Amino acid sequence: MKYITPIILGIFIVVSSLCSPPVAKAADVLHMYTALDPNEAKIYIEAFQNETKINVEWVRMSAGEVLTRLKAESKNPQVSIWYGGPSAEFIAGKKEGLLVPYKSPVGAPFLKGNLKDSDDYWSGFYFGAIGFGNNTSWFEKNKVPYPASWQDLLKPEFKGQISIAYPYTSGTAFTTLATLVMILGEDNAFEYWKKLDANIHHYNTSGSACVTQAGLGEIAIGIAFSHDILAKGTSKGYPVKGSFPSEGTGYEIGGMALVTGGPEPELAKKFIDWSLSKPAQDLMKVWFRIPLNPEAEIAAGATKASDVKLINYDDEWAGNNNKRLIEKWRQTIGK
Amino acid sequence: MIQSKRFAAYLKRIPSDIKKLLKEPFLLTGILLVNVFLFLFIVLPLFKIFQLSFEVEGHFSLRIFYELMSKSYNVRPLIHSLTLGTAVAILGTLIGFIFAYAITRVDIPWKRFFSVTATFPIIAPPFMMSLSAILLFGKQGFVSKMILQNVVQFKIYGFYGLLVVETLTYFSTAYLTLYGVLQAIDPALEDAALDLGASKGKVFRSITLPLATPGIASAILLIFSQSLADFGNPMILAGNYTILATQAYLTIVGMYDMKGGAALAILLLIPSLIAFCVQKYWVSRKSYVTVTGKPSSTRIKMDHPVTKYSIFGLCLILASIIFLFYGMVFFGSLVKLWGVNHTLTLNNYRHVFTVGWEFIKDTLLLSSIATPIAGILGMIIAFLVVRKQFPGKRLMELVSLLTFAVPGTVVGIGYILAFNQPPLVLTGTAAIIILLFIFRDLAVGVQTGIAELQQIDPSIEEASTDLGADSARTFRKITLPLITPAFYSGLAFTFVKCMTAISAVIFVVSGKWNLITVAILGSVENSDLAQAAAFSVVIIIFILLALWLIQFLVDRMGGGRKIKFEKPEAIQSI
Repeated sequence: MKYITPIILGIFIVVSSLCSPPVAKAADVLHMYTALDPNEAKIYIEAFQNETKINVEWVRMSAGEVLTRLKAESKNPQVSIWYGGPSAEFIAGKKEGLLVPYKSPVGAPFLKGNLKDSDDYWSGFYFGAIGFGNNTSWFEKNKVPYPASWQDLLKPEFKGQISIAYPYTSGTAFTTLATLVMILGEDNAFEYWKKLDANIHHYNTSGSACVTQAGLGEIAIGIAFSHDILAKGTSKGYPVKGSFPSEGTGYEIGGMALVTGGPEPELAKKFIDWSLSKPAQDLMKVWFRIPLNPEAEIAAGATKASDVKLINYDDEWAGNNNKRLIEKWRQTIGK
Repeated sequence: MIQSKRFAAYLKRIPSDIKKLLKEPFLLTGILLVNVFLFLFIVLPLFKIFQLSFEVEGHFSLRIFYELMSKSYNVRPLIHSLTLGTAVAILGTLIGFIFAYAITRVDIPWKRFFSVTATFPIIAPPFMMSLSAILLFGKQGFVSKMILQNVVQFKIYGFYGLLVVETLTYFSTAYLTLYGVLQAIDPALEDAALDLGASKGKVFRSITLPLATPGIASAILLIFSQSLADFGNPMILAGNYTILATQAYLTIVGMYDMKGGAALAILLLIPSLIAFCVQKYWVSRKSYVTVTGKPSSTRIKMDHPVTKYSIFGLCLILASIIFLFYGMVFFGSLVKLWGVNHTLTLNNYRHVFTVGWEFIKDTLLLSSIATPIAGILGMIIAFLVVRKQFPGKRLMELVSLLTFAVPGTVVGIGYILAFNQPPLVLTGTAAIIILLFIFRDLAVGVQTGIAELQQIDPSIEEASTDLGADSARTFRKITLPLITPAFYSGLAFTFVKCMTAISAVIFVVSGKWNLITVAILGSVENSDLAQAAAFSVVIIIFILLALWLIQFLVDRMGGGRKIKFEKPEAIQSI
């Protein structure tokens, strides 16, 4: 009995020292927030680590959450780079003074026009379009055609069968909201969403979650990015097939940017350069994203810009109106 | 009148108390240090929330609440949370009562099995019950698709889903509370009624039930606050039935509306605090049970075959449901792609131990640091509260127990408000997570310690002091050995709480320090059900290993004392 307390306390100490990270290797560590799916981000980050021997410590959050986290930490920045998420979210970040410009020499030859920020605050590294991920078994059983337009989503047979994320947590959902505003005009877009809300089963925090939910048959239609529909649905073996709206659809240029006051700006620049190189851009295949480097390979079956009808998506406007649109959405929809 | 007299006496005592303290510098520094810690890590974060919510341009104002209540997306969660909390509290208490009554009063077989089953949900990782609800009753669910062939559709997202999973998670609280109460009711009363010719039904109605009423009320209030504080289940199953705890999280994490989030946190805090105060200062004083009375073994059990077997059947059904939920998570973790390809595989575990290895290591490390500190600090506070006289003692006790009452979401928000700017910048460090663990779970140790110490005669300690030992030596040599059983229970429980914490720590995790529960949240948010299931199983295994290890050591060295979650107060906090 006499020794038991020291023994138990000792065990706690042993366990904690076994689990504690080695102190010495602190040399080159890059801190990162990423809005990519964690299983996907891991692939790119490990490739980067293997090539450059720079360690990356990263946290996955939805794009909207990254934005708010950076704002919260602006007095005491924890990360140097924000990797992944629609450009509109980066434009919102630029407006808040959370980003610093960097023009990557690797990306300079092909990052033109809307593929990067006009002042180089963010650089694009992939393209993806908003689409509908449909559960094929549900459509076969109910003998209904796949939704082929935004208006189709309002059909009564889809009541409680559609899922999307909250526009305030997810870049995917915000891109959808901005797309609708650009197609229908602001007032009509919110009227539209009110009707859509009646068909929505529930809202997620993460934009790509609805694809798996469609795959599981929890819902019939998930509104998500084309690459997520392929990567998390179809290619995994779920009965999911994509369709795109005939009125045209919005898209994202996935971005990355240096964070203001980040502790390791040089490492972050290296990461951006690496992400735009051919080997890194080739890796986009695994998630069916369309790389922006023209030399990179594109996954078979991936949705290219030429495959769908795109609207003239004004990410600059979307980014600058991010806060206002979200507040209006919450007021109107009440979620 | 009596009150004011007492207060006067109290005031009179203060100078002499202080004088005594000054003679014992060790004790004095101890008390001061404890108070500083309690202030910094419990009071200050809460204060920050109030400050942010009520202060408009440097003045006190209630405007933020007016703004909040004028928005439907804030009012609805409040109503939802209160409705759900009430429903879960009633149903959970009913089930807890059935188990407690069956085990203490009815002559049924397999009592030990039922009692273990009823306490098992305490170690459930967050999200787990919801996860298995989807695996069981979702569109591709084991029950809904494979057994019922989709003839019946379950609406698991929303009120009913939450009601079921929260009831299954929190009825343990009611069971433990009511088990204690029923055990402590003097059986002589029931025996006397029987001897006087009352039927067993009448004894139940007119003796047992009225005597257990304070315990029932207490259980209802405890479950009500647990349901209010629940973050994991609504995060998955709420659907469109929005809940305060998750809404506050989304407001802050999704919109960076600190003020709005803090105000929602206060809306969440008020009903929890009311429930806590009613429970602590009103219901628990109405208790009719004798604390010191030893349960008599000659109690006449309910043995009428109809009553006996219907209660036994009911317990069996409830126990099978609990096992079904646990078993499902285990099965789900072994499946290749849920809903599509049900081949068994260990791939998910490979993922857990490769991608998730850092998470596991961090969780074990931080929990192993926090657990003993919380345990020791809890014992010190309990010792000071029960044995020492000093001004502000009651307040210190109240503050240390406050963490029972405050929902994790509120604490988490308070921590990011308090420790994200000078003088104390802790965001991104391991320290903030460890501190959160310690002060979230402190109340468990304090409560068990107080209960234990009150039953030990102070004259043993006085003897030690009379023989010349100072406070520190007496505490180490006399008090500590006497309260070790409580200490181990506290340790075991704190460890479980650390391993399964989510609602508060979700606000303070960073890239450097990650937790398994946060990984589960990530998997769940991305609907990777199998991965989430595998992570949950791993948490359960680690917890069982730790509990077994502590029990084994205590058995070996301490002469067979049982480590149990025996104090109902110990499970109030989530």
